[in-house]
This record gives sequence, structure tokens and C-alpha cells, in this order.
Amino acid sequence: MTFRQFAYHNVIRNSRVYAAFFMASIFSVMVFFVYSMLMFHPNIEDQFLRDIAFGGMLIAEIILIIFTLFFLFYSMSAFLQARSHEFGILLNLGMEKQQLNRLIFLETMILGFISITVGIFFGYSFSKFFFMVIRELFLLDSLPLYVSWKPFALTILVFLSLFIIISISSVVFIRKKEIIHLLKGFGKHNEQSFKKWKALLGFFLLFAAYSLVIFSVFHMNVFLSFLIVILAFVGTYFFYTDSILYLLHIVRKRKSLYWHSYRLIAFAEGSIKIKENARMFFVVTIVSTIAFLSVGIVTSFTSFTAQYRELNPVSIFYSSDWDNPFEDEHIMKLSQELQNEGLSYELVKFNVKKQTSSNSHEQVNLIKESEVNSLAVALKIPLIDLREGEALLVPNTQEDFGSIRQEEEQTVLEESSVPIRIQGVYNHLIFPSLAIEKRAIIINDDDFNLITEPLLGFGIKESSTTFYAFHVPEWLRTKDVGTDLDKIMNETLGASGINPNSFYFVNPGLNFSIIRATFSLLLFTGLLVAAVLLLAAGSFVYFKLYTDLERDKKQYDVLRRMGVTEQELVKIVNGQLIPQFFLPWGLAMVHSTFSFLFLQAFWVDLAAVSIAMEMLLVLLAFTVIQVSYFYLIRWRYIAHIQD
Amino acid sequence: MPILALEDVTKVYEGKVAHLAINQLSFEVEKGEFLAIMGPSGSGKTTLLNIISTIDRPTSGCIMLNGFNPLELANNDLSLFRRRQLGFVFQDFNLLPALTVEENMVLPLTLDGQSVDVMKQRVREIAERLDLLPILEKRPSEISGGQAQRTAIGRALIHKPSIILADEPTGNLDSKAARDVLEILSQVNKESQTTIIMVTHDPIAASYCDRVLFIKDGEYFNEIYKDDRRQTFFQRILNVLSLLGGNVNDLSTIRLS
Repeated sequence: MTFRQFAYHNVIRNSRVYAAFFMASIFSVMVFFVYSMLMFHPNIEDQFLRDIAFGGMLIAEIILIIFTLFFLFYSMSAFLQARSHEFGILLNLGMEKQQLNRLIFLETMILGFISITVGIFFGYSFSKFFFMVIRELFLLDSLPLYVSWKPFALTILVFLSLFIIISISSVVFIRKKEIIHLLKGFGKHNEQSFKKWKALLGFFLLFAAYSLVIFSVFHMNVFLSFLIVILAFVGTYFFYTDSILYLLHIVRKRKSLYWHSYRLIAFAEGSIKIKENARMFFVVTIVSTIAFLSVGIVTSFTSFTAQYRELNPVSIFYSSDWDNPFEDEHIMKLSQELQNEGLSYELVKFNVKKQTSSNSHEQVNLIKESEVNSLAVALKIPLIDLREGEALLVPNTQEDFGSIRQEEEQTVLEESSVPIRIQGVYNHLIFPSLAIEKRAIIINDDDFNLITEPLLGFGIKESSTTFYAFHVPEWLRTKDVGTDLDKIMNETLGASGINPNSFYFVNPGLNFSIIRATFSLLLFTGLLVAAVLLLAAGSFVYFKLYTDLERDKKQYDVLRRMGVTEQELVKIVNGQLIPQFFLPWGLAMVHSTFSFLFLQAFWVDLAAVSIAMEMLLVLLAFTVIQVSYFYLIRWRYIAHIQD
Repeated sequence: MPILALEDVTKVYEGKVAHLAINQLSFEVEKGEFLAIMGPSGSGKTTLLNIISTIDRPTSGCIMLNGFNPLELANNDLSLFRRRQLGFVFQDFNLLPALTVEENMVLPLTLDGQSVDVMKQRVREIAERLDLLPILEKRPSEISGGQAQRTAIGRALIHKPSIILADEPTGNLDSKAARDVLEILSQVNKESQTTIIMVTHDPIAASYCDRVLFIKDGEYFNEIYKDDRRQTFFQRILNVLSLLGGNVNDLSTIRLS
């Protein structure tokens, strides 16, 4: 057996111990590789998407690297600590420290090599699937699989250096110890080292953060969010290192609570596990919170989509004043672009007349009933049936449904002396919210024809406008239509909101695709990073359980002799496992709930969207995953300690 | 009526090579007796203790423990039976490292759902008797081997079991601590009439008992009763051990002066 074979056997024959670790690091490599596949994709033509893809993936990869570095370092030192007895024996048998270092280095590199190879293999296999999802999200025509050395080189380079850093630092960790310490293992269970002031500080910081959230629900202030994040961050740290131990200490002083059948063992063992894992709990909590949040925000986007559609029922809207020289040219161009994209559409043209209302002495826009109905047919909303003299108001924004009174209103269109009776508001939005500046009224066709007189002080031509409403069933695909018009609108409209052009153009599909792409990216990054994290945290718990198995087995053997029944044994196991699984979990949940409260308050100001339902679903889904993971691990653990 | 009766107990470990650990062993233990079981390595002592502990079942034969036949009890009842009737002392103490000395001792009572007042009172009594009062708040890692074993004895005694089973209780202790532990055990045996069954290698430890049962290769070999003087009892134990012809290492070289 050569030295290399020895290292190889050490890894391969311990594969059961390394299983969860492998799974987590392979998955991490895989996700990283898939990200880089997208990052270097040559076929994303759209400059905007290209920026998003590159920038977003870069950030995601950096987060992933930092996290993986932390995870690898933590697991490696735990692995080595668990094997310190073995290293002690090797040194005792006369192995040089130099050789031991080489052994550890070789083993880590074998681990790294396997993880990278398998991870890239799976990553490449799943790339096509990933691209399909991305294609759907970004509404790209095609996003083919490609072969390039770049993503491979990046992944191998990054992870190889990660593993080298890890193996060197773990060697340092072992080198400092004396043989006798290695043989005896490390001094464990020096507990009760919490500081009371730190414990109280932890509670105080968390409480302050939560109170500030409640406060900002009523008085929104974006700058508070920074303060809240910092408070919660530091508070969480102290919560794990001190506060929770302090709480347990208080409980343990109350003998009537503590000296109660299996609780005695469960509490004592639980507090040791918490103390050993405080830092890991902290990291898991923070990253889970971020993951929940990003997923939650993106999920809330679905409700935003529905609402957006409701607010912008017409896919492309173009209005033209009488003095617009480009009218025909623009409409021709839009139709052509829609045809080029292969999108079917219906175009409804509105001839709008302007008059003055006798009631308010303000200018109003008058729209023909039949034209509205032809749009209504296309949009599949109820038709209107107006008799002579009857009229309906066109709502401008969603709030109009509530604020405009539904009573009848008698008025006369002054110039043409046409009397109309406004019967309320048409209960569907038909035009984009900012498209029409004045009040718009739908009237009967006959009444419409009676309007012959021009607006006071204007010619007959000047007192009319034209609206063009394109209804495109696949409105999400219109993002390449009218991009130059959109550019003009963006440049001229500026911040003032006053339209200097003789036309107005809006394409909700285009605006939507930008918001959507950004959100989708957040979702993907959030989901995958969350998945990596869940696996890693789970693998860590599994590993810790596995290394403590011998000790735990012995302990349970003693307990069984002392007459602990199987049911009580399960309860004791629960007492040990539940904190490890659900403590970071629970705190992350509480954090997320408060963050959602804050976001909800923020969203209400921004877009009048309620995200409560989505958030609830996200939290629920994560809980289900976590609970099933817990049962899986518990099942394995109990099976191990019982044989 | 004997508190423990074994009748033709046989234990065979199945496996690639079937192994006969105990062969038709029969003996009785009276209430209040202090019995030592001696035998060379591999003679089946630990298996025997496991069978008496009810955590292992004999392949054949019958066992009666304080009027119960543990083989007839369901698993749960068996746990409850152990909890109330048996106390254990181990060679490597097996204290739970997470618990303090006091908590380790009350563990059997908490499992049995006693009230806190009863527990506190019992701990105080036992700790006083075993001289553990100053270290009640300490953890197992902070105390000496002798203290740890006294704590373990406290844990075995606290629920007033009918039988205490001790597996090499002095194996990990220095001579002074070993003597302390043995004296405590025999004192407990005399004062509270607690039956103690102790497996040991150490003839000195065995010399504290009322009777020593020797087994070899899982079979009954011999038994001797104590006499007035411990020294002569010790010599007789040594004589039997040399007859037993186990491994030389099994024989302690310590002699009482």
C-alpha cells in the first residue's frame, strides 16, 4: 500500500461519513457550474438581459463561493477533529508531521477532485434544463446548450483553489496539537460560559429590531431598514452564543420544570449541542432568512403579474393628437413589428371627440360605444349597452372604482348641446392608467354622431384625437415591439410627467419584461442558494450526529439499562434533534415574518400589492421540507443507536 | 424466597460461528446477599450480567427476578421493571457528561416521575452518605474517578432498587478509591439489605462479598462463602482462581499484608 493508496482508502472507506458532505459539496459545484454556464452564454443577444445575466450570476457566484468556503472550512475542521484520535495513533506509530500534512492534503484533494468532477458532470447534464427554465422566464426564443471551455475553467479554478485553501488551513489546525492531545481527543463540554449582559443584549437587540419593524409599518422610513438589519444581525449572534444558554440556565434552575422525566436529559444534551453549534446556527439563520426573503419576494411577483395585467388591459396603446405627423407611420411600423414577431393582434381605433361638460366646465373626451364594445370583445370583458342620452365614465386607475360616486349625473355637452346622463363608471379598466389626461366618457353612437360642433375656440379637426389599442393575446412577448417609440417617450417624458409630443405610446409588455427579468433572476439565485444552504446545513447536522454516534450509543445503552422505554428514548432524541433542526429555522421564520411585514408596508406604498398570501405559502413550503428532512434524519439516527 | 433465581440458563450467540456464552447455569441469590461473580476473560460474566439486567434474553432456561419472570414482560413493562427494581454501576461510570453530579443522581427518579421535593430529599440523604455534598454542582469531567464512581453508586441507590448490578466497579480506580467504593457497597448492603451482584476480576473486591461464584467457559465452576476474616477469605479466593487456571494476567498480584 503506497502512501497515496492509504489516503485514497481513508476517503473511500469512510464514504458513509463523507456521504452528506459529498452531497452538499457536489451540489454546490453543480450550482456554481450552471450559473457560470449562463454567465458565459454566447447566445443572449439582448444587451439588457446580457447585463442582468452576467451581473446577477456573478453576484450569485460570489455569495456561493463565500458560503461554500465557510461550509468546507467548518466541515473539514469538524472532520479532522473527529479523526484526531486516528491522527494521534499515526503520529504515535512514527509518522512524521510532514507526512501527516501530506496525508491530509492528499485526502482533501481527493475529496475536492471527486466533488468537482461529479459536480461538473451533473451541472452539465442539468444545464439544458436550467436554460429551458431561464428561457421561459426571460421569454427568449432559444437558449441552446453550448460547449465552451470558459465555464469549465472557471469552476475548476475556483473550487480547486477553495479546496487547496481548505486543506492548507486544516493542516495548520492539526499541526498545533501535541500527540497526547490528539490521542485523548479535544476537551469537550466546557459549557455554561455565557455572559449575562451579552444574553440580555441579544434579547434587547432582537426586540428593538422587531419593534422598529412594527413602528415602520405605520411610519415608513427606508433608512430605518439599515438599522433594523444591523440590529437583527448582531442580535441573532448574541442570541445563539449567550441568550439561549441563559434561557436554558433559567429553566434549569426551576427544578419543577427541569427535573421532569426525560426533560432532564433532553435539556442538558440540547444545551450542549446548541453551545457547540452556535456559530453554525447563526450563519444558517441569516442565510435562510435571506433565502426565504428572496423566494418570498419573487413569489409575490405572481400576484403582481395578475394585477399588472388588470391595470394595463391593452397590450399596446398609442394615442395621437390632430397635429401628429407620424400617426400613420407609427401605426404601420407597430403593425409590422407585431407581424415580424409572429404575434397575432387586434387593432381597435377610437375616434375621440372633445367637448366641454356643462357641470364642471372642464374638457372631456367622448368615446363611441361601438368602439369600446369592439375592444371589449377582444378583451373578453362585458359589453355595454347604452341608450340614447346615457353615458358611462371610463375609469382611469383602480382607485376610481371606489372614489367616483356611482350616482347618476346630468350634464350637457355644451358646444353641441347634447344632454347626457352619466350612470356611473364602467367597471373595467380599458386604457392604461396615464394615457388619458382628461375625463373620458362613453356615449351612445347616435349621441356621438350628434356632436358636430368643435371645442370652444378650436377648429373641428383640432377638437378630436385618435386612440389606437392593440390587443395582443400573448402580451408578454411584445417586448421587442415599439422599442424606439418607447425610447422617445422615456427621453421626452423625463421626470416632469408632461408629454411634449403630439402622441403618447405605452407598451406594458416591455415594461413588464424588465421587472420580470430582474425578479426571476432573484428567484433563481435565491432558490438555488437556499437549496445549497439547506443541503449543507443538513449535511452538517448529519455529520455531527455521525461523529458523536459512538458516544451517544453508549449513553443510550446506559439509559436503556436504567429503564428508559422506547417512547421516552424517541422523546430524548427529539429533544436533541429538534433544536438543531428547528432553532435556526424558527428564528429565520420569525425574522422573515417581520421582514415581510416591513416589505408589505413598503410594497403598499409602491404598488398596492398584497404579498401576505404568497409569503405564507413560501414559509409553509419551507417548513414542510424541513419537517420531512427532520424525520428522515431522526429515522436514520434512531436506527443507528438501536443496533 | 430467593430474590434472583436462574435455572438452566443458556445463551448461544448466533453468527457465522455460533458461540456458546453460557451453558446451563443455575444459581440463586438470597435477598440482602452480596454476591461476586468471578471468572477469566471470556467466561461469560458480562453476558450473564446482561441477562440478569433483562437487556439480553437467554436462548433457553428460566430466570426469576423478585418474583417476576422478565421474559414474560412486554418491552415497555420491562423498561419500567428495570427502572424500579434495578440499579447499575459500571466500570467506566457512564455518567451523563451533560448533567451535574446531582442531576446524574436524580435521573432515575425523574424518569419515574417523582415530585421535586422527594427528589431533593433523596439526593441530600444519598449525597451525605456518599460524601458528595461539596461536589453536587460539578460536572463529571471535573471530578475524580472515585467521586465519579460514588456518584454512579448514588444513582444506582437513589430509587431504592431491590438489586444492584455492578460490572467491575473498581476496574478504573486507584486502590484507595477502590477501597472506598467497596466499603460503601458493603455498608449499603448491610444497612439497607440491598442485594448486590458484582462482576469482578479483582480478588480484593471479591473478598468484600458474602459469597463468590466462579464461572468458567460459561459454566458453573465453584463457589465459596466468606468466613470471619477477610484475609483468609481472600486467600481462598486466590486458591480457587489459581485452580481456575485462567490467564495469568487475570490474577491480581496484590496481596494483603
